[in-house]
Parts: sequence; structure tokens; C-alpha cells
Amino acid sequence: MSSTPTTPPISEAKVEDGKIEKEEDAPAHAVSVTPKKKEPPPETPESIRLRLFVILSFWAIVLFLGLPIWWRTTAIYRAKLPLDQMMDWADGRACRPVFPLRISIEADSLQDHEAQHLLRTTQHALDDLNDFSAHHLRLQLSPPANASITVVGLPTGGSDEEVALVIRLLPGTESKADLQSYSPILDVHYTPNQIPSSSSSSSFLATYIANTLREMFAEEQAMISYLLSTSSAPPERSPKALIPEVAESLAKWTTRSIKYSRTYHLTFSLFTPSATPSSWDIEAALEEHMKPLLQSFSSISNFTIDTQVQLYANPGVNGNVLKKEDLSGFINAAEWPLSPSIGGAPTVNFIIYVGDMEVEGGGKSWLIPQWGGVVIQSDISDLRPAMLIFSNQLMSLLGAPESGSLPLRLMTLVRVRSAGLLLKASGTMGSLARLTLALPSISIPKSVADGVYTTIEHLRKACDGLGGTEGLENAIIAEEAAEKAFFEKSMVGQVYFPDEHKIAVYLPLLGPVAVPLVMGVLKEVKAWRKRRRVSR
Amino acid sequence: MRRLLSLLLSVGFLALFSSATSSDYHEQLLLRPLHPSLLLASFNFQSNTSLASFEQQNFRYFPRSLGQILQHANTRELHLRFSLGRWDAESWGARPWGGAREGGTGVELWAWVEAETDEEADGRWLTLTNALSGLFCASLNFIDSTRTTRPVMSFQPTGDHSNSTLSDLHLLHGTLPREVVCTENLTPFLKLLPCKGKAGISSLLDGHKLFDASWQSMSIDVRPICTPGSDDCQLQITQTIDMVLDIQRSKRPRDNPIPRPIPEEELKCDTSKPYHSGDTCFPLDAASQEEDWSLSQIFGHSLKGTCSLAQDGADPVCVNVPHARHVYASEGALEYKDASGYSRCFKIAPDKDFELVLPQQEISEKTPLEQPLLYAERSFIGYGQEHGGVQAILTNPSPTKAVDFVYMESLPWFMKLYLHTLRAKINGLDEDIIKEMYYRPALDRKRGTQLEVRIVIPANSTVVLTYDFEKAILRYTEYPPDANRGFDIAPAVITIGDVAIRTTSLLLPLPTPDFSMPYNVIILTSTVMALSFGFVFNLLVRRFVAVDEADQWDFRSVRVKLRRF
Repeated sequence: MSSTPTTPPISEAKVEDGKIEKEEDAPAHAVSVTPKKKEPPPETPESIRLRLFVILSFWAIVLFLGLPIWWRTTAIYRAKLPLDQMMDWADGRACRPVFPLRISIEADSLQDHEAQHLLRTTQHALDDLNDFSAHHLRLQLSPPANASITVVGLPTGGSDEEVALVIRLLPGTESKADLQSYSPILDVHYTPNQIPSSSSSSSFLATYIANTLREMFAEEQAMISYLLSTSSAPPERSPKALIPEVAESLAKWTTRSIKYSRTYHLTFSLFTPSATPSSWDIEAALEEHMKPLLQSFSSISNFTIDTQVQLYANPGVNGNVLKKEDLSGFINAAEWPLSPSIGGAPTVNFIIYVGDMEVEGGGKSWLIPQWGGVVIQSDISDLRPAMLIFSNQLMSLLGAPESGSLPLRLMTLVRVRSAGLLLKASGTMGSLARLTLALPSISIPKSVADGVYTTIEHLRKACDGLGGTEGLENAIIAEEAAEKAFFEKSMVGQVYFPDEHKIAVYLPLLGPVAVPLVMGVLKEVKAWRKRRRVSR
Repeated sequence: MRRLLSLLLSVGFLALFSSATSSDYHEQLLLRPLHPSLLLASFNFQSNTSLASFEQQNFRYFPRSLGQILQHANTRELHLRFSLGRWDAESWGARPWGGAREGGTGVELWAWVEAETDEEADGRWLTLTNALSGLFCASLNFIDSTRTTRPVMSFQPTGDHSNSTLSDLHLLHGTLPREVVCTENLTPFLKLLPCKGKAGISSLLDGHKLFDASWQSMSIDVRPICTPGSDDCQLQITQTIDMVLDIQRSKRPRDNPIPRPIPEEELKCDTSKPYHSGDTCFPLDAASQEEDWSLSQIFGHSLKGTCSLAQDGADPVCVNVPHARHVYASEGALEYKDASGYSRCFKIAPDKDFELVLPQQEISEKTPLEQPLLYAERSFIGYGQEHGGVQAILTNPSPTKAVDFVYMESLPWFMKLYLHTLRAKINGLDEDIIKEMYYRPALDRKRGTQLEVRIVIPANSTVVLTYDFEKAILRYTEYPPDANRGFDIAPAVITIGDVAIRTTSLLLPLPTPDFSMPYNVIILTSTVMALSFGFVFNLLVRRFVAVDEADQWDFRSVRVKLRRF
């Protein structure tokens, strides 16, 4: 600009500071002046250096004091999370879920070496049959001293070796297997000629036992392998693909069953479209048909119960024959007071509707996935059939397998639930880790980090103790801690704090302050380059 | 007067106590015409359940949703009120149920919670308010510590509590004067009834009519009642709805609600006026005429049979009119006239619609109004944004009897009461009529002021209670979205034995800031800081030269440069 000055400078005289007048002509200006313009006296190197120091010290304050203070005061607290570990759990690298089921053989009638041999051959046959390494049946001989003790109910977590099933070998006239209904004992009858000789590598009895066991645990195996296949475990771990029909029924099983909880709340409701009947003998019916079942669940979950009678309740659909698609609209959610119970426990609703409607194709009851069951009954003097239906519906809502004796179903439920919770908690850990990485602007309070560490600790314990009630207990704790960490309230609010808002607050101060600072640097650089060109 | 009171109460209120022992359900509607052209409709629903089955959670007449909340929050006695409007005691007389089933404007809740410590009671109270808030679609969850008081003299438990539980009971009281009671509160209320508005007197209840009323109050009371000397205890739930309907207004058809002039041929003119002619009409005074009305006109439809659960023999519908008044009921209904001469009840056929018609009638005899025990008015006095005052005018109309009552105020913390300015003047004279006082000062943002004063007013006297207060300045975020509307102050509760009277709520204007202020402050301070920084910085960095030595802005060269691009 100064290279092409054509207008004469405005010649208004101004009284300047004495200091400035003292300054000498800068050599830098000497080159590009036109003879018309009066040049300021050159600057002394001291004043140039002084100005440089001033600018530098301002920038130093901004960079080394201002920025750190701003950074520290506006930074969002993000507790350190063990992201690698969390991702390991989510991807199934941290835990290899194995369900070693101990099956004890009581063979009092056999010689010790015979029994040992039978055990070896049966185990061999079992291993040959099993293609799913996560679910492993291990046989053992029960010590003779304990031979008379029968295991009743669920094994407790106290012993280090939990026995899933006891096989009692009994001499008989024909070979057959009987599963006892109320205790996990399988009676296997054999004929004397079936005792394997020590030389043969396989025997009929061994294969028979192996096949029976395999059949008994097939459903459980399918459930666990389905759970593993739907999780994000590495492909080499997941078992070979399930048969489509089995997979479909298992998919239904997962959509049907309610999320696990320590306590469930059961609500039994009587709905009637008119004013009668206004009372029912529910107390006795529950006492007789429900309480024993709930009692046997006590090691897995607890239950609280309430009942109600609702008159003048009309269903959401009309007509005497209910079509399949009507069933979902039958519950009149707007008018029927079926609010979930207060407190944390999930509510399972069981409804008796007084009427003589029928579902298309027969049947008067149906199950609503993850919600409860409905029975239509015109006469409520006998509640036994309804209670039996409700018991069945409750079992399937809780996710118990469909076959087997009650104790075995419950034990299977324990294992399946622990596997499910373990996978769920691991999945939550992975989601939390991904969330942390994806949203750098959310704060992570210390409680989340604590929750993550608790989860990982209990996941580890659960993984080590899979198969027993202790594993379930740890999996519950892990899952609860994981959910709590993921749904931490204070993490949500920060997500929506927009950047525009920050700019609107900072800009009025930072803009006007930054302009002279930057311009000062630019001018100084320009002057320095000019000086260098001159000196060259 | 006393006779009338006993009559009024004997129809419903007292009947509740006598029938309390059996496990039953009871409902009754009481209609009472008020002057001028108004109708008070009092609905009363009551059911009992044995405490044992309640504790086992076997619910029959008692609503499950409410029962679970009470158990979860360890609440032994509950009183919940939703009210709207002002009861005009001067022309309508005493309140229905003696004011016992009525709350202040908005929502009022008080409960006896069983807990060992105050903190535990506060926690359970929080659970209770939050759960009830969900159940009744009301903002009850906003009853926080600043809106909760623990009355000392005003409320007494109405249920029978054993001495051991009584020592662990904590009374907590909260109000929400700002809450607008509306249809969404009526729907859950009706769901709690066994007959759910499908049959019986509850079939008359309709949100359009209820919330169109001049005054209305919904109440829910839960209390344990025990037969003396035995362990046989029951839990009683009483639900009432009282409303004062404008007959003229209710009679307007719903699809055409705009009032229209009476057609010419139906006009009743005073022909004695000299200017009466074909096109001028002086309407006849209709005040001597009783308004004609029927159930279906007032409530939109007739009553749908009886709720068959109500089998205690009480007549479901009663009307308080003189016996001389014509009342026509639909077929199948039986009429029973009361000996007092001012009340009659109807027994209804179970499955038939019931209709009640009262034609227009000229009648000199009127049902006497019951005089209230006390007239109470409360208003703000003073001026300005900083200070103010409250004046309560309490009049005892009785010519013979003195009234002993407790006046309770629960004020928000930002209304700072000066207790030394509390004055009670009786008939204009300073006299010491305050017998007892309980005062709990406010803590900023933690709790409100609680003031309970026991006063005795002699017969035929007026007491003026005044006090001054200072308005606090709130923080920026503490103002509600419509801050300029003002802040609602809860009604004062006046307790005279069993009778409770509430004043209207007040609207307190507080100084409100300009809400764009924080951003303006940011901009202004930033500008000042940036200016001073730039000034100092330039002073240090700039080189000062004489004007003729300085670089000049040369516009022509800029133009040349621009043209080059």
C-alpha cells in the first residue's frame, strides 16, 4: 500500500508525545517512501524488542495461563473407564461361558472297577455325542459313603461341586430310565448281562445312559447355544447353526420370557362385564395351587401377590368368537386398572374374564408375551383349572424349559438365566464403552466407573461359577450394576448442551480480545519481514 | 338450624359412621337447590374392606392402585382434595359435609405416615406424593419440602389408630394452589369406584359438567376404623364429589352452548307497566318462581340404574326441597318423604334409567339455609414490590355462641412473614384474643413458614387478623415460565372442631427480572473487558507517530487493486 502513495498526506499538525518525536527514522521505511511523504523517525532496536516482549508476554499469558484455566474450568469430568476390558467382555473375549454339569452315578450294585469302567465308557460316549463345547456333561462316581443320601431340591451353593443330576443304577429285569418328578434323580434299570466287561471299549448300557442324558439336556443345550449365537461372541465359539424350527421356537421363547428380576409381582384380576360376580375365592385357590410352585422358585426369584375384582369391565374387542388378531386388543388398557405395581419388581398379570367367549379354533386361554396370561371362564366357583393354566403360563413367562421334571427345569432355568444375564451385562458394558467413545461431550461421573468395575468383578466371578446358583447371584449383581451405570442420570443431561450455546457465551469476550492480539502478531511479522528484506 | 344440620348429615355423613362395621359399599347423591338458580350436587361413595385382606393385598371394593401406594408408603390415613372455585357462604350457607370433605383451591393432601424418624417420614411422604401424582395425573410430585408442613394444632386423625402406631404416626400436609383441576383428574377418580361410572349415581359424573361448575370439590379419604374393644379393624375409603351447578347454564344444549335471547312469544312481560306494548316488554320478576330442571338437563343424561354392590338399603338419590314442591320421578322409583318437611329420597329400580323432573313452580316456602359457623375472607393489603400485608376478616355470625378455632397459614419461603406485626383486632379494638400460637419460621429454599393461631371469637363479632411480610428476590432459575402471573399462596385453613373452612388462595406478585438479562450481562461485561484490554494492549504495542508521518488509507489504490482481480 505504501508503495503507491499518490495523495499528499493530510497536513494537519498534531501535537504528539515528546517521546515519539524523539524516535529516529527507521531504516525500514527509507526504501518505499515517496519524496512527498514525511517519514517517522526510525525505531530503536530497544523499542522493537520491547514491543516484541509485550506481544510475547500477552500471548504467553493467554496460552499458558488463560487456556489451561479455561480448559480446566469448562472441562467435563470423565472418569477413566477400562474400555478395553469392557469391549473384551462385549465381544466375548474375556469369558468363555462353560457349563460343566456334574452328574453323579450311584452304582452300589456294581463292583468298583466295573463302575469305573462304566463311567469311562459312558463319558466317552457322551463326549462323542457332544458337539457343543460350552455345555459339557461330566460324570463322576458318588462316593459310597454318600450313596444313601438323596439330593432333594436344588443343590445349594455351599458345596464346591454342585451335582446337577444323580443317576442311580439299579439292577432290574429290563433296561429303562425313570426320571423322578420331584428330585433330580434318574433311575436307570439294567439287566445283569448289560454290565460291561472290562475289555470292551463300549457297551450297550453306556450308550444307553449317554443317549438318555443327551436327550434330557438337549433343550437346555439348544437354549444356551441360541443365547450365545444371538450375542456378539466370536464365531468360532458359537455352535453350529441350529435347525430352523428349533431356532424359531427359541426366538419365541426369548420374546416370551420376562426380563429376570429377583422379585416378581403377580397380580390376579377378575374382570366381569356386569356387576356379578363381585367376589371370588382367590385366597384358597392361590394357597392351594400357586404357593407350592412359587415356593420351589424361591432360590431363583421371590414373588409378591395381589388380587383384585373389577366390575363393569368391557374388553377391547367384542363378539363371542375371538380371532387371533383380536387377542392383542382384548386387554382394554385404557379402562382396566392394570397399572404395574409400585416398587421395582416387574408385574405379571393373570386375568380371569367372566364370559363365554371362545378363541377361534378352540381354547379359552392365551399368553401375552412378557406381560401375563388371560383365561376366559364363565363359572368361577372352581378356580383350579384357571390356576393350573396360570402356573403353566408363569413357568413359560419366566423362561423355564418345557420338558423335564420340575427340579431339572428349575436348574436349567438357573443356568440359562445366568448365561442370559452374563451376556446382557457384557453387552451393556460394550454399549457403554461405545457410547463413551461416540459422545466425547458427555460427562462420566465416578459412580459410573465404580459401577463398571463392580460389573466386571462380578462378571468374572459369574463366568467362573457358571452353572450354579452362585453364578446366577453374581450375574444378577453384574447385570444390575451394569444397568445402573448405563442409565446414570447425570450422563444424559450433558448430551444436549449445544455448541452454539457455548459460542454465544464465549464469543462476545473472546472475539474482541483475540482481534488485537492476532493483529499485533501479524503486524510484527510483517515489520520483521520488511526489516529483513532491507537488511539483506 | 341445628335440626337442619342433623338432617343434612343424617342423610349421608352420619350414616357412614353407623354403617361402618360391615364390609360393604354405599353410595348416595344429595341434590339441594341454592339461591339463585343454582344446584348443589353432593355425590358420596364409600366402601369398607377388612384390614386383614387389605394387608394380604386381596382387593375387592378397595382400589388396588391406591391400596398398593398406601402400603408402599406406609400411609395409615390419607386425605386428598381437588377443588376449584369459591364457596359463596353468604348466599349458599354452610358448606356441604361441614367443610370436612373439601380442600383449598388446587390440590391439597394430608396424610398420617408411619415412620420411626422424621427423615424416614419425609422419604415416605415423597414416595406417596410421587405415586399419587402418577395415579391422579396431577402435579403432586411438586409437593416438596418447601410446600410441606407438619401441622400441630389444625388436623387430627379421624381414623382409629392403636396407641402403639399413633406414637409413630407423622402428619404431613402439602398444598398445590396453582394446580388446575380438570378432567384428567376425574377419570382416575372414577376408576377407583367399584361401579366406575357405568351404573349407579356415578353414571351422572361427566367432566364437561363437573368442571363447568361454579364450585367443585373432589375428595378421597382413607382411614382405618375399628370396633371398640376388638381387633376387628376395617379400612374405609370415602370418595365425594360436590359441585354447585348453574341451572341455566347447565340446561344449554351441548351442541349449541351459546346463550340466546328468549323468543318473543315466550317472554313474560309485566303488562301493568304503562309503556307495555307489542314491541316493549318489562320482564316479570322470576325470582319467586322456582327454576325447572331435571337430571338429564343438568347432567346431560339420566341416571343408569343402581350400582348393585350398594346393598345397605340407603336410598341412592335425595333431594332437599320443601314437600310442597312438585317432584316427578320416573316409573319404578319409590319416594320417601322425610319428617322434617324439607327432604325426600328415592329408591331406584335396579336396571331402569332414573329421571327426576322438577317443574317451574311458584312457591313461597324455601328450604332454610344453614348458617355457617364462621365467615372468612383473606386478602392482600399494602403496596409496592418490596413489602406487603395480609388481612383476614373472620366473622362469627352466631348471636349467642363464641367460636374457638385454629387459623393455619402455610406460606412459601419467599414470603417472609414479620411475626411482630401480627395483630388481631376485634370489632375494631385491640384485644388479646389469641389464645395459642405455633410458629415455624421459613428457611430459604428449604421450607415455608407455618403459622397456627388459636383464636376465640365472641358471639356476633368480627376479628381482623393482619400481618406484614417482605417479598424475597428469587434466583433467575427459580421463576416459573409465566413469572409475571404471580405466585399462588395456599388458602388458610380454619379448623373448628370437625368443621374446616378454607379461604381462597391468593396471587402474590413478585418483582420479576428481565429474563434476557444474563445474556445482556455477558455481552456488556465482555464488551467492557474487551474494550479495556484493547486499549491497554494498543497503548503498549502501537507506535505513535505524527499525523503526517502515519500510513494513509489510500482508497484509490484499493480500487486499483480490486480492479485487478
